[in-house]
Amino acid sequence: MAQTKLNDVTKVFTEDDGNEIVAVDEVSIDIDDGEFLVLVGPSGCGKSTTLRMVAGLESISSGEISLDDRVINDIPAKNRDIAMVFQSYALYPHMTVRENMSFGLEESTDMPDDEIDERVEETAEMMGIEELLDRKPGELSGGQQQRVALGRAIVRDPSVFLMDEPLSNLDAKLRAEMRTELQRLQEELDTTTVYVTHDQTEAMTMGDRVAILNDGTLQQVGTPLDCYHRPANLFVAGFVGEPSMNFIDTDLHSEADETILQADLFDYSISDEIATKVSDSSDPVLGIRPEDIGISEDPPSDKHDVAATIDVIEPMGDENIVYLQFDSEDSSREAESIIATIGGMRQFESGQTVTAHIPEDAIHLFHGETGEALHNRRLETAESQAPQL
Amino acid sequence: MKRLVAILRAIRNKRRIRTDGGTTDERSTVKRWLDSDFLQSAPFWGPPLILMGLFVYGAIGWNFLLSLTDYSGFGGPDYTNLGLQNYSRMVQDPAIWEATWNTVVLLVVFTIACLALGLVLAILLDREIRFGRAFRTIYLLPFALSFIVTAQFWRWMYNVNDGIVNQFIGLFGLGPYNWLGDPRLVLGSVIFALVWQFSGYTMVIYLAALRSIPTEQYEAARVDGAGTFRMYWRVIVPQLRPAIVSATVVLVLFALKAFDFLYAVFDGYRPRQGADILATKMMREGFNNSEWAYSSAIGLTLFILSLAVIAPYLYTQYKRGNL
Amino acid sequence: MSEETLSAGQSTDDERVLDRISLTQAGLYTSLVGLVLFYLVPVQSGFVTSIKTSDALINTQPFAPPGPNGATLESWEFAFNALSQGLINSLLFTVPATVLCAVLGSMAAYGLTLVNWRGQVAVFVLFIAGIFIPYQAVIVPLTQFWSQYAMLDHRLGLILSSHHATILELIITHTAYGIPICTLLFRSQYKTMSWEMIEAARLDGASVWRIYRRIVLPLSIPMFAVVFIFQFTQIWNEFLFSLTIIGSVNDSAASATLILSGLGEALEGVDYPLRMAGALITAIPTLIVYLLFADKFAEGVRV
Repeated sequence: MAQTKLNDVTKVFTEDDGNEIVAVDEVSIDIDDGEFLVLVGPSGCGKSTTLRMVAGLESISSGEISLDDRVINDIPAKNRDIAMVFQSYALYPHMTVRENMSFGLEESTDMPDDEIDERVEETAEMMGIEELLDRKPGELSGGQQQRVALGRAIVRDPSVFLMDEPLSNLDAKLRAEMRTELQRLQEELDTTTVYVTHDQTEAMTMGDRVAILNDGTLQQVGTPLDCYHRPANLFVAGFVGEPSMNFIDTDLHSEADETILQADLFDYSISDEIATKVSDSSDPVLGIRPEDIGISEDPPSDKHDVAATIDVIEPMGDENIVYLQFDSEDSSREAESIIATIGGMRQFESGQTVTAHIPEDAIHLFHGETGEALHNRRLETAESQAPQL
Repeated sequence: MKRLVAILRAIRNKRRIRTDGGTTDERSTVKRWLDSDFLQSAPFWGPPLILMGLFVYGAIGWNFLLSLTDYSGFGGPDYTNLGLQNYSRMVQDPAIWEATWNTVVLLVVFTIACLALGLVLAILLDREIRFGRAFRTIYLLPFALSFIVTAQFWRWMYNVNDGIVNQFIGLFGLGPYNWLGDPRLVLGSVIFALVWQFSGYTMVIYLAALRSIPTEQYEAARVDGAGTFRMYWRVIVPQLRPAIVSATVVLVLFALKAFDFLYAVFDGYRPRQGADILATKMMREGFNNSEWAYSSAIGLTLFILSLAVIAPYLYTQYKRGNL
Repeated sequence: MSEETLSAGQSTDDERVLDRISLTQAGLYTSLVGLVLFYLVPVQSGFVTSIKTSDALINTQPFAPPGPNGATLESWEFAFNALSQGLINSLLFTVPATVLCAVLGSMAAYGLTLVNWRGQVAVFVLFIAGIFIPYQAVIVPLTQFWSQYAMLDHRLGLILSSHHATILELIITHTAYGIPICTLLFRSQYKTMSWEMIEAARLDGASVWRIYRRIVLPLSIPMFAVVFIFQFTQIWNEFLFSLTIIGSVNDSAASATLILSGLGEALEGVDYPLRMAGALITAIPTLIVYLLFADKFAEGVRV
């Protein structure tokens, strides 16, 4: 049971030729006792390095990591009371499952053998692997190995679990199953867990909170829905959600009675309330999630309606992913396209001309240079929007 | 991938059968045989097999035949009167028993010492260190030298008056000892020199095996709370088992046939008392005493001893699909 | 825990960890350098001894270099004169035998690996076992064969001198016994080649021979380097065949290792500077090859 704090944690690698690479840049996260925190980001963003610093497998260049107010920077991995699940599972191939699971207890505690046995059996039962105890890892399927790797961590009853993409070697169906099971286990054990993944489905569904990293810097920490609906910047907005948010570059024009966002191919007027928020940036980026775009066959009637042509439709069954192109009167300009998702039962054809509705309630606006969010969508309307999908 | 290959192969076979379709059974069999992979590949492995087979297996067979004759001195062997007399002579020869004992001691001590020292070298080098390659090159260097060359160096090292070994232990107030003359010391001295020459070999074998163990294994052991020594002892070394086995086979086989070094250290077929092994005894009986048949019998015994090591090794390798 | 005690505790921790790291590092490098001494002292001592006069030999430490007065190249000169013919002879049989071994080994490995037929593993086992055969089990018939049955010097007397006949015997012998290890080395590489690639070439209509020439052979060039280097040192260093097939140190076909084994024997006692000089001269070709291609040599050893 522990509260884990990362305070300005930085990792600098020095390459052979003397170049320094900052892999993790002043990351600060407070992880509550019993919390399930997911570290997510594209590959190379520093999420694994951060996890390995918590584990003690990587030295910390500067900053502090503390466990229950005790700085653990210089405590070697073996004394940190943590357990880790590796992407490759890292089961010891020459030991049986039982030996694999008791190894950590034998090495890190003075527990008598019979007590170790008992705990191993209990954990194995909980994980449903009791009949595998006397087999070796080589004789197990991928899913079974994965369970053993989890069991090996759980049996230690550590103060923190660290998991480095533990599900990425499983096939899709098993992965979905294990996702639920892991969540259930974590809730039951109530042990602080730091979970690294590049899979945003895992990030969204599993974590109490999500920490999004890019290029070694922390972009946002928050609940999954927070990150989805109130992204702190362009990166988070684009990273969370599949298909990702549409971004349209615009120029801000204030006219007599309204403020207009001028995109290459259409104009979009915004209310005064939003306009004051974006006044900092002369070229804000307009963001809109695919599911918030409405499509109809009626001609444009609202000021937030834009005429568009359907380029491609990808039917997914439950929904259709529609690639829309805005028509350009000036043929020299490249057509701009956005993605919308609509209900799977609706019928459209490619080439069809439609009206895309971009509701003002659902738009996000980001600073043109810094990428910081200037305005996020209104949440109170989100619910009423949903059935329309 | 495998499936694809199987499909491709099936397609090829089908095509072949179809082109043979109209001919009689007999002709198609012959033609198919001529077309077969066995025959097509024969020109590649056939000549080397014949050359190697005659010299290795033909010679062993001939050697067996010779060991049944009473061939000695000049002239030729008489193949009409064959018997096991040379083998019974071996059993009754006390020198054989002494040589066998020395062979066993050499084999056990030399093998274990090489395995242990090689492991230390490999673990020391299996990390990020400056000049790691230079260190490895130096440790393996003696293995690249001829036994005749290293024997010269060690004769000088073990020299009673001026040798470095005596000078070194003299620093601690010990010695001097007659390393290569004293029957109680000579075998140990020879083993020490051979370990010097072979430990680099075991190091290379271990290093390759260590490099193939994923780093997660080390990290998992650390996170599990194991210190450096316990980590190696319980997690890493057990995973080196295949490397240990194959290195052991090579070391044992070498220990069985070590002759060059002893010949060069002792200037001839007769090692100093206490260092005679079966290999030197065999060479001496034949090429010094012209007891050709007896010498062949000892040679065949050595072959059978080697076979006792190789056969189980090859069998397990075959079982694991490593061949 | 108050802030002060925390930071105080941490700083001592820091120092301890730094101490520990540098201590392990120091220990590591000390052991590594100590081991370097262990592995190099016999060679180093041999070298300084080889350039000592007999006075210097008695008056200086065995590992210390001789002073300017005690240094001489006499032993090197003498040893070189004694060994020069042996070095040429060794080269004469080592180089052809190395090339033949490599070529035959590569062909055998191809026939046993990349062409699929039943029973190839059984044939391969014959090759592997050949690596481990103690030469003592074949040496008597082998010498019988060359001296009483083949008698190359007699039969080829018109085209070969007896000296060259002996060299030819050594080439054939070394080739025959070198094939197994070369086959194993090549097979270890061929096993990793993709079957699809070979199958694709077959579907393209290439014959077994053309696949070898056009695909397998070009891809084996790195392995040829490994085999050349490994086999060269092996054959050069070999002694048992030289001793039995050549027979006498005084034979005009005597190899370097054979001459070295009896170098300066007639003299009273052992002339150590001469022996050391001889040992180093004999080792030079292998040392050069080893030091230039240590990685490839290690690769050959490993398989």
